Amino acid sequence: MTPLDELLLFSGLTLVLLLLLGRFSYAGKVATVFYGGQLLFLAKMADRIVDGSIVTFSLQVELFGQQMSWRFDALSWFFAVITLGAGLLSSWYASGEWGERFRRRGGNLWLLHVALAANVFSMLILLGSGDLLALFIGWELVSWASFLLMTVAGGRAIQAAMRYITYAMSGAMAILAGIVLLWSHAGGLQYGQIIDVIPQLSQPQVWWLVALFGAGFAVKMGLLPFHLWQAAAYAETPGPGAAFFGAISARMGLYAFILVLVQLIGLARLSELTIPFTFLDMRDLWAWIAVLTIILPTYIALRQNDARYLLAWHGIGQGGYMLLGLVMGDALGSAGGLLHVFNYATNQAVLFFAVFAVMFRTGTADLNKLGGLITRMPISFFAMLVGIIGLAGLPPMNGFVSKWFVYRSLMIEGEPLLFLGAVIGTLGTILSVYKLIHNTFLGQLRVEHVEVREVPWSMVAPMIILMLLIIATGVAPGLVLDWVALVQSAVGLPVVENTLGGVELASGSLDMLWVVGVLFAGFGIGALLFYSGGRTRQVHQLDNYAGGHFLTAETRYHYSDNFYAGLMHLIKPWYRGSFVWLESTLGSLLEIAASLMQRLYGTLHPSLYLLVTVVATLTWVLL
Amino acid sequence: MSIQTLLMELVLMPLVAFVVGLFMVLMLRRIGAKLQRRVGPPMMQPLYDIVKLYSKKTQISHGWMHDIGIIMAVGGYVAAETLLPVPGMDGIADKGGLVTLVYMMMVPSLGLALGVGQCANPNGSIGIARALTSMLAYDVPFVIVVFGVAWYFGTTNLVDIIAIQQAGGVAGWGAITMPLLAIAGLFALQGMLGKQPFEIYIAPAEIATGPMVEMSGKYLGGLFVMQCFQLYTAGVLYVSLFLGGGENWLFFLIKVFAVVAIPMTVAFLFPRYKTEQMIRLMWKWPVMIGLLGLAFVMH
Amino acid sequence: MNTIALTVVLPLLAAFVVPVLSRVSPLLGRLLGPLTLAYTILLTLQVWLGMEGKPFSIALGGFQPPLGINFYVDRLSLLFTFLTLVTSLLLWPWRNETEPRQYALTLLLAASACGLALSGDLFNIYVFYELISVASFGLAAATRSGAAFAASLRYLILSGLGSVLVLCGIAIVYLQTGTLNLAQLSQLAPETLNTPLGMSAFALILLGIGVKGELFPVNSWVPEVYAAASSRVSGLLAGLVSKLAVLVIVRLLVLLFQQESALQLMLILGLLGAISGELAAWRAKDMNRMLAFSSIGQLGVIFIAFSIPGETGLFAGLALSLHHLLVKPALFLLAERWRGSLAGLRGAGLASPVAGGLFVLLALSLVGMPPLPGFWAKFLLFTGLAAQQSVVYQVALGVVLLSIVIEANYLFRVVMNLFQPAGDSSVAVTTDHSWLNLGTTFLLSALLIAGMLFMGPLGTWLEGVAIQAADPVLYFDTVFSVSAIH
Repeated sequence: MTPLDELLLFSGLTLVLLLLLGRFSYAGKVATVFYGGQLLFLAKMADRIVDGSIVTFSLQVELFGQQMSWRFDALSWFFAVITLGAGLLSSWYASGEWGERFRRRGGNLWLLHVALAANVFSMLILLGSGDLLALFIGWELVSWASFLLMTVAGGRAIQAAMRYITYAMSGAMAILAGIVLLWSHAGGLQYGQIIDVIPQLSQPQVWWLVALFGAGFAVKMGLLPFHLWQAAAYAETPGPGAAFFGAISARMGLYAFILVLVQLIGLARLSELTIPFTFLDMRDLWAWIAVLTIILPTYIALRQNDARYLLAWHGIGQGGYMLLGLVMGDALGSAGGLLHVFNYATNQAVLFFAVFAVMFRTGTADLNKLGGLITRMPISFFAMLVGIIGLAGLPPMNGFVSKWFVYRSLMIEGEPLLFLGAVIGTLGTILSVYKLIHNTFLGQLRVEHVEVREVPWSMVAPMIILMLLIIATGVAPGLVLDWVALVQSAVGLPVVENTLGGVELASGSLDMLWVVGVLFAGFGIGALLFYSGGRTRQVHQLDNYAGGHFLTAETRYHYSDNFYAGLMHLIKPWYRGSFVWLESTLGSLLEIAASLMQRLYGTLHPSLYLLVTVVATLTWVLL
Repeated sequence: MSIQTLLMELVLMPLVAFVVGLFMVLMLRRIGAKLQRRVGPPMMQPLYDIVKLYSKKTQISHGWMHDIGIIMAVGGYVAAETLLPVPGMDGIADKGGLVTLVYMMMVPSLGLALGVGQCANPNGSIGIARALTSMLAYDVPFVIVVFGVAWYFGTTNLVDIIAIQQAGGVAGWGAITMPLLAIAGLFALQGMLGKQPFEIYIAPAEIATGPMVEMSGKYLGGLFVMQCFQLYTAGVLYVSLFLGGGENWLFFLIKVFAVVAIPMTVAFLFPRYKTEQMIRLMWKWPVMIGLLGLAFVMH
Repeated sequence: MNTIALTVVLPLLAAFVVPVLSRVSPLLGRLLGPLTLAYTILLTLQVWLGMEGKPFSIALGGFQPPLGINFYVDRLSLLFTFLTLVTSLLLWPWRNETEPRQYALTLLLAASACGLALSGDLFNIYVFYELISVASFGLAAATRSGAAFAASLRYLILSGLGSVLVLCGIAIVYLQTGTLNLAQLSQLAPETLNTPLGMSAFALILLGIGVKGELFPVNSWVPEVYAAASSRVSGLLAGLVSKLAVLVIVRLLVLLFQQESALQLMLILGLLGAISGELAAWRAKDMNRMLAFSSIGQLGVIFIAFSIPGETGLFAGLALSLHHLLVKPALFLLAERWRGSLAGLRGAGLASPVAGGLFVLLALSLVGMPPLPGFWAKFLLFTGLAAQQSVVYQVALGVVLLSIVIEANYLFRVVMNLFQPAGDSSVAVTTDHSWLNLGTTFLLSALLIAGMLFMGPLGTWLEGVAIQAADPVLYFDTVFSVSAIH
């Protein structure tokens, strides 16, 4: 038994167990323990991964002359750690009162647990794929498992899930077409065979391959223009599911992207593919797609009034940073991109946990119906605070480090416009996450929320763990960068030479140990200064400057709606909804074509067709 | 460098910044007074103000985030000062660099925003919304400038940037080698300091001083301290990027005060722009100038 | 070995006996059909074990080919004989006790289908094909509703015209070659039929037989008939009869018309069928119609697969046919439970979770989710298509991929509807609670899962079948070596 055998078997066992036990109230706890077990098996492989060796799966399948195998290398391992971490914390979150409440309200907790376990299991299979056929199988399994999890909530979630599966199937078919093309050139689907055959292919052939594979993976990542499905699909999923999705699900696209486009085809080859009628090459194109994916979804997030949607839209945008760093292809950029996978997963998970904690207590995620909860739910507030600082990429949280890497890479590579785009995305994120925390936790507490309490420990604990993780990896990014360096060497990218606090560079280093140390020392001085001042007296929230009016509980005194009114005056006309328009146009075209076809079959004179066809065919044949 | 010297630098740098910042506030008021034909305050007035605010008897708190917000606002700048090299002291400038500094400068703003948020006053929240919007406006030209400078000097380490400029004499200054970026930088500076015509987020007559509406006593005092640091940071950063930093303290202080005097003078000559006007302005002229400058720098 | 002829004779005999027997003893009348089928299945298995993978030919009535008529038995024809009998048994119209006529028709269908699979000459093929038509008209009209009669009439007209075309095609072949024996034809074909006239013969036969094979554009009877007929009949027609029509065309392609243009003609018609069927299904408003249209689409894909030259095409086509034969009847049986508009199915899956679950499984296999068998069949198709140089094949690859997306969309729209709680009081109407249908579906689904588990050996075996069937020389040798021995 190799460690990978143990891991996959145990993961499968988790799924089976939840299928059987999912109905019982202790299912969540069992699931959490079992995800922990899977993490242990993963940890057991760590020493081999560090050696740079590959952990294989004992079972190999040969079908129709295609050998299928599974194995874990550093890349798989890195993504698997995040997957299992997200699974563990999500199921922990659901294991106590949240799950109880969900079930009492008519939710299908069994399905939620099973779907989550199925997601984790299928993702591990995908991450372990040792050839392209196994990759496709894993890919499809993940797609359908995600679909299952998306449907748990019912209602609007179903619409979103349907949209997702249509996009996902289109993407999968593009990938399948790419695989089949590769097969016809290489005669097999082993990675080795493909690496050998790529240099012999002509530019148009590689062009097609990159387009097909890239489009397929882009769907999962939610890159423009295939991003429309993601926000609703993730946001409408119940709490732990949304956190899991947000944290890792879309990253499977990035994993496959790295595997196929970076490892097998190679970034260097991408740079050779020019795009007709422009001065761009394929790699620039990906970089620009990444930047547009950063900007547009982020500014769509800015307009959301539902906290879940806001986060989900940001999730799409953050994916852009990862891809951007990666296609830069240098040690710094690709390290930033990979590091951001981890950092973003922690941020997004804690943010979703906090938002769903608020929903748990207040029943709404509508940013116009909340406010002032900081006094009632301080830990959730703090979790969200840590999360938004990380998501916006400000020091001292970990999100800053990964973005710093990407920025520095763009600076060194001399990409001013991409850099500008990335920063504009960050600025938009800051605006939007402030609105999130302000409208939820700050401002006036509503009358109906006076009785609200902090969420129970089963929900607080995962948030605290994530907060600690975010801060710890912010102070000492080297902890994760060590793994990232392993991934880089496994994939064949230049390897970043990191320190515990960041990176040493001739052209400007980063040492987060010092930066954060100084920052907290600064806070200490600030606190010293503050508390040396006079004694404070706390006043009621209605005891406020109100221009001579007296505030009462009935008077709404919280600024939340149309939060960035001034900005929106200017940029509102820029939201054209072009992609939605494009999507609906495609839908209408399909509708028209379909109704034409139905008309064709619904005709009353079928025999006429037959005669016409016969005549036509004979004419064709005889001429 | 021994750890003792470093620690001493880390203590001294914010302290110097604070003192210089106090004088900048004084200068600000004196310039205003000159333009309005008044006498203006005495030299120690800014310090008196701060002491007065901190020692007031009535200190109204709106909750613990209100307190922490002020602590973050001051503390963030204290930390940021150690990333800014001054003559003879580099602090930890080589461990963070330009990009870190830019982002570090957002931490106090975030702290302030959170603190104001808990005050639960719509005037404050509107102010913050406008402040963040204006940050979005002026940061676009600002990062173009940052990128151009970093590209030109081939580093983001401020110590190296200053050293390279000083090696070239006055002709090596960023303002001479990259004039367009220096102009764009001035626009960004004006926005960053929140001075007229870009002070829509304070707008006393409209939203009752916005973020400051619920601030009194040591809370306002904290903001006062923050302002000292802010003036200093912006000035020193500009000097480090474009005016060759400080060869010695005398030249350094002259340059810094001269740079800060520009936005202050401009401030008293202009009325206030609306938010969208400000964005439109910032995204048009400084961005165009900055991109043009960038094109020159990169070719 | 000659017992294989009994697979045709016995059901035929039983078909004529049943009506009479039912008057004497209803119980015996009910049992006769299934027993006959079961017995013939045993016979087939026996032959299967006896032949050891080698094809053989039997001459009927003692006259040797090319003068006499013969049955050609290779793995492919035996496989289809077996499948015919098994499917007829599985889809036996048990519940129509009062209608011995249906028993007779089903038996007639089984007998003629076996005959079609085994026939070694064109004329017999035509005869059995006509017999199938007759049986299926009767079955399609058996529900005796107005819609069923109207649909059957349409079917009748199209089918009749199709028969005329087939006859014309056969006449041309006979004119050109002077024989109708397939083995002999396979030898003469390269010289005599490789002409425009030969091609037009193929075109006529293709369109004529294509009526049953749901070939575009002679398939407009399909939605009406499947919507009106009972699910078991629809399953038989969609699952079995269509495949036999395809089988005949494939036999002719391999033996008589090894021309590129013949393959291309079939490819293009298959392509149009695939896309038009899936598109029409996407907009279908009730379950049976949706399944009917999707059946057109899948038959289109099967035609595309068979138009790939060589064993690859046969292998892929056979895999797709077998998969469709397994899945489509199962879906039709489920549809019996959920007749009527799709919108009315809200919550039906929650009411009967087993049926809902089976539907999901079958739908997943239909859209080709790995590792279910449907994926492997499609994978063979895609690799086959990609290996071809011609642009038409690449286009076909794209179209099939697109049609899968459309298919996934409409199938899972239904699935979502099935599993959504019914909003208001309107509980989903379930017209059929029989355990028989569900049990049969369950059996078919179990076979599907078994197929997945034993995909390796199954694939190897099927490839053997394809290789054997793709060899015209073997065909000729087998038929005429027999005559040499006698």
